[in-house]
Amino acid sequence: MESVVIIRYAEIHLKGKNRGYFERVFTVNIERALRGISHELHRIGGRYLIADFRQDCAEEILSRLSRVFGIHSYSLGYLTENSVEEIYCAAQIVAPQSGSFKVETHRADKKYPLTSMELNAEIGAKLLSERKGLSVDVHAPQHYVYIDVRENGKALVFGSFLQGAGGMPVGTSGKGLLLISGGIDSPVAGHMLAKRGMTVELLHFHSYPYTNEQAKEKVIELSRELAPYTGTRKLSTVSVTKIQEEIHAKCAAELNVTLLRRFMFRIAERVAKREGDACIITGESLGQVASQTIEGMTSSNAVVSLPVLRPLVGFDKDEIIERSKKIGTFETSVLPFEDCCTVFLPDFPATKPKLSFIEAEESKLNVEELVQNALSTLETISF
Amino acid sequence: MIYLDHAATTRPNARALERAGVFYQTTWFNPSALYAGGTEAARAVRAARESLLSRIADPFVHELVFTSGGTEADNQAIFCGAKRGNAVATLGEHSAVFSAFKELKGRGVEPRFAPLCADGSVNGEELLRLVDEKTSFVSVVHVNSETGAVNDICALSKAVKQKNPRTLFHSDGVQAFGKIPVRLPKEIDLYSVSAHKIGGVKGVGALYKAKSLRSFTYQFGGGQESDFRSGTENVFGICCFSYAAEEVFSELPVNEERVAALRELLFSRLDQEIFTRLSSERGTPYILTVSAKGLRGAVLQQLLSAQGVFAGTGSACSSKKPFSRVLEACGYPQETLYGVLRFSFSPQTTEEEVLAGAEIINRAARELKSRL
Repeated sequence: MESVVIIRYAEIHLKGKNRGYFERVFTVNIERALRGISHELHRIGGRYLIADFRQDCAEEILSRLSRVFGIHSYSLGYLTENSVEEIYCAAQIVAPQSGSFKVETHRADKKYPLTSMELNAEIGAKLLSERKGLSVDVHAPQHYVYIDVRENGKALVFGSFLQGAGGMPVGTSGKGLLLISGGIDSPVAGHMLAKRGMTVELLHFHSYPYTNEQAKEKVIELSRELAPYTGTRKLSTVSVTKIQEEIHAKCAAELNVTLLRRFMFRIAERVAKREGDACIITGESLGQVASQTIEGMTSSNAVVSLPVLRPLVGFDKDEIIERSKKIGTFETSVLPFEDCCTVFLPDFPATKPKLSFIEAEESKLNVEELVQNALSTLETISF
Repeated sequence: MIYLDHAATTRPNARALERAGVFYQTTWFNPSALYAGGTEAARAVRAARESLLSRIADPFVHELVFTSGGTEADNQAIFCGAKRGNAVATLGEHSAVFSAFKELKGRGVEPRFAPLCADGSVNGEELLRLVDEKTSFVSVVHVNSETGAVNDICALSKAVKQKNPRTLFHSDGVQAFGKIPVRLPKEIDLYSVSAHKIGGVKGVGALYKAKSLRSFTYQFGGGQESDFRSGTENVFGICCFSYAAEEVFSELPVNEERVAALRELLFSRLDQEIFTRLSSERGTPYILTVSAKGLRGAVLQQLLSAQGVFAGTGSACSSKKPFSRVLEACGYPQETLYGVLRFSFSPQTTEEEVLAGAEIINRAARELKSRL
């Protein structure tokens, strides 16, 4: 009998001929999540088993697996020989001392001498006779003892199903570039696309000296918090200071934000193409702030050819906050760092900018030179 | 590097560090231990206590409790001293006092705050008006950490006691200790100081307290610090504090004069078109607070740091707010508040640093102005 973690995967079984590819990526992701913890990863039927780990690492393994996309559910349990005696040994550890319980058997090995019902009865009866505080309740038990009889002469015994992160293995749906700001929304947007299997790379715009080192540290911290889900361990940064100053000096104040966003998209597209990213991802939500209107989004989309994915577009702030708390990025997102970017914020930003007006204002700037200048400030931080 | 943020913290005094380090290497024993090493450590703590105490107080009237720093000393004074009725502080207090006062409300003591004059000193009349027969505690910061204004705590404590002799008088002396001369009169019951503002290490402070105050226990445990503040003594930090104090006190009047000249020199060299002075000439010589017209102090601070000049934008502990609560209480308009920069000196600051610093500051401010 051996202590194991059982992993069941989510949507991979839906995949046809490229299933092998999905499984390979999935395995790599699990291994990456468990880096630093000594273990063995085995394939057994339609499941994965983590074995040969130190008992005091079990909690850490479960915690890390909870953030790996593609996992439908997982359990801490035991791998035993499939004899009734061995299975019972494991069931004794898994079963509670008191309260109501139910034994539930699943047989992958249809040639196993006992039927599922017979094995349930056998194990259940043994437990009942030994533990006075136990009672059987087949409808609404407080506890379960699950037995999974596999085809290779082995059985898995465990007490519960832990819900996995769901989704698809990161890396199976292409690459995208997330514009990460330090606020609540962008990490949530990145999380959502990583969940659908996208490799999420990170780009942050700063306006040093109007934004400060701590603000950058905050974005690095957010990226670090996102890494267990995305596996991404680097962040690119670009300075838009010069652009902001030029816009501030030459263009209509109400378009400050609109024009800046167009520059950000242009820069993002260049970075994305260089890195092989197939799309730009933002945390925009319709109507949340002045620049996130449909007109604002249209004006940003107009300067790029790559698709712009906005997974939060239909979300309320409350919903985004709830997700952010669940992911674990909320606390960092709301850290109050002085942001002197407000220097450039107009009192009344345009909410429905006309494209013709935007283009007229933008023509006062040397767009290409400013973009090139910004790209020359590109830095990559590994964490 | 030109470091002009000594009100935030100072470079540790190398001689004090060395002396304390050598001592601590051999005498690392627990001062409560009864064998020779322990006794020797206890003796060193006692010597430091006596030395620091006699710098500003009369050992027959006051005693000294070592703490983990200025904030803890303030907290101990307030939470042990303000237990009923109301407590009065000024709007110029450091957060260590201000936030503790706000907490008093939840503990059944009404906090009151006296308004400030334009230079950041407390309006004495208003302060006294807030003191009544139910006032159990008054706290007046000695030197305002953001403007450098000095409150006449000796006169204020006497006036407070005259109005209500049962009121305890506390002063946060963190920015004053070792920098401006003071002898604690018997009317000042409590006085907080910190080591790292005068060349000691972080994590050590002290509370001067009137010997007559009993039941002043803040942290319970093994009974160290005459039971007022339990916890194994930070022998190294305490010795270092005492050695650093030896140096600053021996030179205090000379330093005061020299630093005052540096402060005036710096201001005279700053571009008067851009910088407005907020610190009064009567304030501590160690702090010069200015406001850069139309600019953000925080942005300027970053440009300066990139060129090796380090300045503050207000109390470091409150730099997460857009602008300073204390300066706001001085009545400055928002535009002035955004532009605040604080330069603070130490006895080690040189004329060359000030001159070179002024040039870089002017250049950075002009550059920023031209960019916006």
